[in-house]
Amino acid sequence: MNEDILQINSIKKSFVRNIVNIIGKEENERFFIIDDLDLQIPRGKITALIGGNGAGKTTLFNIISGFLSPDSGDIMYQAENKQMSVIGLLPYKITRLGIGRMFQDDHIFHDMSVLDNMLLADADDFGEFPFISIIYNKKNKIIERERIEKANSIFKELFGEDNPFWKKRDDPAKSLSYGQQRLLGLARLFMGNYDLVLLDEPTAGVNPQIINQILIIIRSMVEEKGVAVFLIEHNMKVVLDLADFCSFMSHGKITAFGTPDDVIGDDEVRRIYLGV
Amino acid sequence: MNYIFHIIIIINIYIILTVSTNLLVGMANLISLAQAAFYGFGAYLGVLALMILKLPMIPTIFFVMFFTALLSLIIAFPSLRLKGDYFILATLGFQLIVFTILYNWVSVTRGPYGIPGIPAPKLIGIIPISGIIPFLILSSILAGFVIFIFYKLVHSPFGRVLKGLRDDEIAVKSLGRNVTKYKILTFAISSAFIGIAGFIYASYVTYIDPTSFNLDEAIFILAAVLIGGTGNIKGPVVGAVFVVILPELLRFVGFPDSIAANLRQIVYGLALIILMRYRPQGIAGEYKLQ
Repeated sequence: MNEDILQINSIKKSFVRNIVNIIGKEENERFFIIDDLDLQIPRGKITALIGGNGAGKTTLFNIISGFLSPDSGDIMYQAENKQMSVIGLLPYKITRLGIGRMFQDDHIFHDMSVLDNMLLADADDFGEFPFISIIYNKKNKIIERERIEKANSIFKELFGEDNPFWKKRDDPAKSLSYGQQRLLGLARLFMGNYDLVLLDEPTAGVNPQIINQILIIIRSMVEEKGVAVFLIEHNMKVVLDLADFCSFMSHGKITAFGTPDDVIGDDEVRRIYLGV
Repeated sequence: MNYIFHIIIIINIYIILTVSTNLLVGMANLISLAQAAFYGFGAYLGVLALMILKLPMIPTIFFVMFFTALLSLIIAFPSLRLKGDYFILATLGFQLIVFTILYNWVSVTRGPYGIPGIPAPKLIGIIPISGIIPFLILSSILAGFVIFIFYKLVHSPFGRVLKGLRDDEIAVKSLGRNVTKYKILTFAISSAFIGIAGFIYASYVTYIDPTSFNLDEAIFILAAVLIGGTGNIKGPVVGAVFVVILPELLRFVGFPDSIAANLRQIVYGLALIILMRYRPQGIAGEYKLQ
C-alpha cells in the first residue's frame, strides 16, 4: 500500500471575475485560484495547510470532497484495497469512500437534537429508505439502539463520563455554545468510517480551553483510529503543536512543504504570510 | 347530521392533502405549487380505474398511487436540481401545464364539461361504497392510515434525513447521503398519497372538472399547511380542520354567500400574514419555514 492516502496531481481551478481595466471598462478575467497544484497527504499523519486569505485552501478542500470540479488535474485516493480518482464523484460518494469533512462554518443541524446530529452521521444508513423505515420495525429498533449507544460511547470517550453533550442530547444543537457546536462537529466525524478527514479551521473563533479539547480529539483521531488528517489552520501554535507536516499555499500552488518548524521558519512564508 | 358528516369527509380529504404536502414542505423544505396537479391527476386516474378499467376499490387506490408517483418523477428529476424560488416556479409551471392539459384535452377529460356520473367504488368488487356514511367511514380510515404512515415516516431514520435536508443540505451531502435520491423519494411519496385524496374526492362528489384542481386549489392546499404548521403531523391536521371549518362558521354568521366567499379569502390572507409575522411555525407546527 502506498504511504500517501491522497495524491493531488496538477490541479487547476479557475473562476471568472469582473474587473475594471485601465481605461475604466468592465471586463471578465479568468483567474486561477488553484494553479497546477501538486501535494501528497501521508497516511495516518496530520498535514496542515496554511496560506493567506483567498489563497485557495477551502477551494482545494471543496475539490477533494466533490463540491467543486477542477478545470484539470487528478486526485487519487488510496485507502485499503481501493485506489481511485475522486474527480467527477458526487460529494456523498466521496464521503462513502472514506473521506470525511468538517466545514469552516460549522454546518451542524441547528434545529435537530444533539443526538440526531450524531445519528445522521452514522456510516450505516439502514432504515433511511422510507419503506424499510416502516416495514422493518424490529431490525430498525435494534440498529437505532446500536447507533445511540455508539453516539453515547463517542461522547464519553471524547468528553468524559459526565459530558454536557449526552445530558443535552434531546436539546436542539443550536442551544449549545459555538465552541460546543465545533466539538459536536468533530464528534460527528467519529460516527463515520473515515480514513481521511478534512478539517477547515477547526479552532477558529473558539476559546483556548476548547482549542485544547479540539487538539486532543484530533490527536486521538490519528493515534487511536489511524485516520489521516488534512487541516487548514491559521493558528501557528496549533500547527506547531499538532501537525506532522505543513504545506504553504500561495498563488494557487504549494510553495513550501516539510515539517511545521521548517515551513513556518521559511523566509518566504515569514515574509508573505506571517508578515515578519 | 348529513351536513356535519359532509364537513368531516371534506376535512378527511384535506387532512390527506395537507399531511402529504407537509412531507415535502415541512420536512424536506421543498415548497411546491404543483400539489393540485397531483390531486387532479389522482382524481382523473381514479375515474379511469373505476369507469373504464372497472377496478375494485383497493386496486384502484394502488393504481392511482403508482401512476401519480410516476407522474411526480417527471417533474422531480428536472426541477429538483433547482433551489428555493426557482424550484417553486418550476412546480408552478408544472401545475399550469397539467391544468391546461386537463382543460383542453376534451376528447379524454371532457375539458370544462367535466366528467359526471362517477360510479361508486366497490369493496372487493361487490360492495359499493356510496352514500354519506360509507364515505365518512372510508375517508376516515384512509385519513387515519395516511396520518399513521406519515407519523412513522417523520419519526423514522428517513424522517431524520429529511429534517437534516431542511436544516442544511450541504451537511447532509458531506455525511454521505444522496440528497437527490431523498428528494425524489419524498416527492413521489407525497404525490402518491395526494393521489388518494383525488380519488376519494372524485368518487364522493361523483363529478369532476379541471377547475377543482387549478392554481387556486394549489395555493389553498399550501396555505392550509402553512396556517396549521409544518414539521410535524399535528400542524397539517389542524390546518385542514381550520380551512374547512372557517367558511362554514362564516356561513353561520349570516353573511350572504357572495360576501362570505370573499371574506373567506380575506381571513385566509390575514391568517397567513399574522402567522408569518408572529408564529412562523403555524398554529401547531414545529418548524419555522425559511
